[in-house]
Amino acid sequence: MSASILKAQNLSKVVPSAEGALIILHDLSLDLQPGDSMAIVGSSGSGKSTLLGLLAGLDLPSSGEVTLAGNSLNDLDEDQRAQVRADHVGFVFQSFQLLDSLSALENVMLPLELDGLRDARERARDLLDRVGLGQRLTHYPRQLSGGEQQRVAIARAFAAEPDVLFADEPTGNLDSHTGAHISDLLFTLNQENGTTLVLVTHDERLAQRCRRAIRLEGGQLVDRREP
Amino acid sequence: MKRLPLTRLFALAWRQSLRDARAGELRVLFFALLVAVAASTAIGYFGARLNGAMLMRATEFLGADLVLRGSSQASPDQVETGTALGLDHARVVEFSSVIATDAGIQLSSVKAVDSAYPLRGELKSAAEPYAEERSGGGPKPGEAWAQSQLFAALELKVGDTIEVGEKSLRLTRVLTYEPDSSADFYSLTPRVLMHIDDLAATGIIQPGSRVSYRELWRGDSQALARYRDTLTPRLQPNQRLEDARDGNRQIGNALGRAERYLNLASLAAVLLAGVAVALSAARFASRRFDASALLRCLGLSRHAALGLYAMQLAMLGLLACSIGALLGWLAQYGLFHLLRGMLPATLPGGGVWPALAGIATGMVALAGFALPPLAALGRVPPLRVLRRDMLPVAPSTWFIYGAALLALGLIMWRLSLDLMLTFALLGGGIAAALLLGGLLLLAMRGLRRLLAKASLPWRLGLGQLLRYPLAAAGQALAFGLILLAMSLIALLRGELLDTWQNQLPANAPNHFALNVLPADKDAFAARLAELSPHPAPLFPIIPGRLLTINGEPVRELVSKDTQGDRAVRRDLSLTWAQDLPSDNTLTAGTWWGGLPTGGLPGLSVETQLAESLGLKLGDRLRFNIGGLEREAQVTSLRDVHWDNFQPNFYMIFQPGTLQDLPATYLTSFYLPPGNDKALVGLARQFPAVTLLQVEALLAQLRSILAQVTAAVEFVLLFVLAAGLAVLFAGLQSTLDERIRQGALLRALGAGRPLLLKARRAEFGLLGGCAGVLAALGCELVSALLYRLVFDLPWHPHPWLLLLPVIGALLVGSAGVIGTRRALNASPLTVLREG
Repeated sequence: MSASILKAQNLSKVVPSAEGALIILHDLSLDLQPGDSMAIVGSSGSGKSTLLGLLAGLDLPSSGEVTLAGNSLNDLDEDQRAQVRADHVGFVFQSFQLLDSLSALENVMLPLELDGLRDARERARDLLDRVGLGQRLTHYPRQLSGGEQQRVAIARAFAAEPDVLFADEPTGNLDSHTGAHISDLLFTLNQENGTTLVLVTHDERLAQRCRRAIRLEGGQLVDRREP
Repeated sequence: MKRLPLTRLFALAWRQSLRDARAGELRVLFFALLVAVAASTAIGYFGARLNGAMLMRATEFLGADLVLRGSSQASPDQVETGTALGLDHARVVEFSSVIATDAGIQLSSVKAVDSAYPLRGELKSAAEPYAEERSGGGPKPGEAWAQSQLFAALELKVGDTIEVGEKSLRLTRVLTYEPDSSADFYSLTPRVLMHIDDLAATGIIQPGSRVSYRELWRGDSQALARYRDTLTPRLQPNQRLEDARDGNRQIGNALGRAERYLNLASLAAVLLAGVAVALSAARFASRRFDASALLRCLGLSRHAALGLYAMQLAMLGLLACSIGALLGWLAQYGLFHLLRGMLPATLPGGGVWPALAGIATGMVALAGFALPPLAALGRVPPLRVLRRDMLPVAPSTWFIYGAALLALGLIMWRLSLDLMLTFALLGGGIAAALLLGGLLLLAMRGLRRLLAKASLPWRLGLGQLLRYPLAAAGQALAFGLILLAMSLIALLRGELLDTWQNQLPANAPNHFALNVLPADKDAFAARLAELSPHPAPLFPIIPGRLLTINGEPVRELVSKDTQGDRAVRRDLSLTWAQDLPSDNTLTAGTWWGGLPTGGLPGLSVETQLAESLGLKLGDRLRFNIGGLEREAQVTSLRDVHWDNFQPNFYMIFQPGTLQDLPATYLTSFYLPPGNDKALVGLARQFPAVTLLQVEALLAQLRSILAQVTAAVEFVLLFVLAAGLAVLFAGLQSTLDERIRQGALLRALGAGRPLLLKARRAEFGLLGGCAGVLAALGCELVSALLYRLVFDLPWHPHPWLLLLPVIGALLVGSAGVIGTRRALNASPLTVLREG
């Protein structure tokens, strides 16, 4: 068995509230290999997005530990975690999170430029070609449909060739036809690049396409599907 | 782990700036900075160049740019230092001497000048007394020019010879105007002007003679400044340096006030810049919360994200400030073009400093006002990409306001170099903001209760304001500050112009009559009343010398070369008067009314002289008056306006105490132009009376005041225009949410009239509140400024009550225009754009 790319041990998140401590996530562990794919499913407020945030190092757990690409996130400060994200992580969001002032091409170029790559423009163009937006390079997000915006976001996520791709409800804002098209794209790129995929979704069909799945309810793990 | 190198961050910031600019994201901030820097640069240039022009005119009063004055001759190295710096030089020696002719003797004030004199302005002279004047020239060796007084006193005519000491000089012209005569304006002895080459031959200047030496200098300001710096530490105790400011009280006061006004106007421009930058930088930051969170997700560290935005702002700032400075530079040319009839044809250039100061002002304002919102960008949690409700951790409020205030204070101080002005404005502003902001918050709470019963447009319009009372109070304060800056500049303009008008009314006396004999007094007064609408009273003049103060000889009491020293070394013009002269104000003691009769006669002394002599109420002063000694007791001190062209006196005696002594009379009067014949008639009717024309001096003073006034008017217009521009720009930055809300309401079926009403209610109220704040703040700050800076009496300004209406109209219409997109564009388009 090869080394884990993403590992969580006894992860809990507790936040203070007016009625006392509120447990958002309780004692959750998981372990993913490179190239693996996992769906996190559950109803609204079940703790899915909290888990995703913790796994990606966007937030720190109240207890437990996350190891991402060999880095124990608990031991790192925010800037060091940012560096881990820069080196190993890509994101796709439900609300796309494209920068309004940048064209489609420039949005995809952004992570490449952060990395200082000289051929950022060519690689971004190539990626947009691969997601079928070769003709919309100079369009701004507001000039694109929801599905097109998400394809730009996916191209951007894969641009930095991440080891792990986190997707938060990637088809949540899209109709079923467009959603199916986007999930095809996600899995194809996942396989072509050997990327580990972690996605939060309501969509059972999308969850079915993942090798693994966990189901959360009230912050507790209630079901786990292993290959 | 690798870090993002600075060069790559810079390249990224550059590209992001270009992209943001293309997408129109930076327009508001860019425009706000542009306007602010253009305004402060234009005012800076205008002020600097106008000041230069005014100083050039004012230097005429000195006859030079800089004068080294002393009671002994300047040392050769003091003169060589100046010539080595490339300065032009002229020499003047002044002394009193008795001019003797067969007809009699006359004490005169002799001035020996070289051929270069005067370095600024020109002499004026006439071929005969009261004949037509001609400018230029000067007496050649062997010649003398004299004032008409001397011709009258000694029955001389042009061509006669006079003896100055042992030297005979031929009178060639009648001296009518010396540019630098104002310092000795009240001297009663006639002037004789001669060439300095004849001085040695007079034999008058001996060791111990009472002589005044002046070295006149002219040159560029840098060389003059170097000369001043080099010479100042090497000055003898009996020497001092004077420039136009020191040389003349009228000009000094007018220039001083005008300069402070221009400074204040540029401070107002900076304040406007600050408000505009603060509003638009907050928008710049809040629109980048998502982007910042995303960049952090993509692996940018907090510092790098902060650096990225700081660099973007710096690039934007440098560009906007440079273009703004260029525009400001062009704008002042426009101003000078408009003023071309009033100003001298050649104006000194402003140099590069006003432009650099303008750019620096913009950048410091940007740093101070944009850093706090920018710092918030660095603290956006990356988790915001998943949860949009997450906002940056709020920094300490003190840090936010401290940074902005520090920036503002620094700029103000740099621009005005006046700590008092800075503190008055900043302190007054802060106090007003705190007080009024608190009141506004309270008022909004009250309004919230009332709102429940209001009609739909009011609820829609005001709901937006009242839901975020702090933000609404902030906006009202910001617009209030803009209105405050504009109204303050308008208010001070009126006040300054009034003061200047009063200082030199159109019928200010333009002639002095000296040596009116007691026998002629009533006839002269009657004739004068026919010629001039409001002649000043005739004051008796008795020359007298101060001998002792409380029994101590004054020579031992005063320090050398002080005002007191000069006063005790010559005869003072003593007078008596029943009433306190108009324009004089008592600062201590009482006028005669309350004095006991008997005992020592009362004496009223001018305040500054009293200070220099160390006098206080009750001191006993002994005078030598025509060989007799008289003692008097100080019973009051007076402030005197020396610049009002009325007869003014250092010492006024109680009536009845000097009447037994021989006196002549003095008065001043206004004669409308074109009455030269009447003047000649007057001179013929009363041959003993000396008539002095001060029209030229008055005209010079008036032209300087006209320049200052024009400057003040144009600067006011500029500040008003900048204020309006900033108001619109600032409003733009608060409209995003309102446009969205408008589109949403229209999507829900609200009609345009309803939305229009709601907008009018909202912005009208916002503007009205801003107007109230501005009116109260303006009174508070103006009260501070009048007291601390301008030395003017303060009184309330009822017209400020119009400000709430003006504010409601301005902000109301600007707001409705700014949000018309929400009314006209398809709601779907607006909503999709988010």
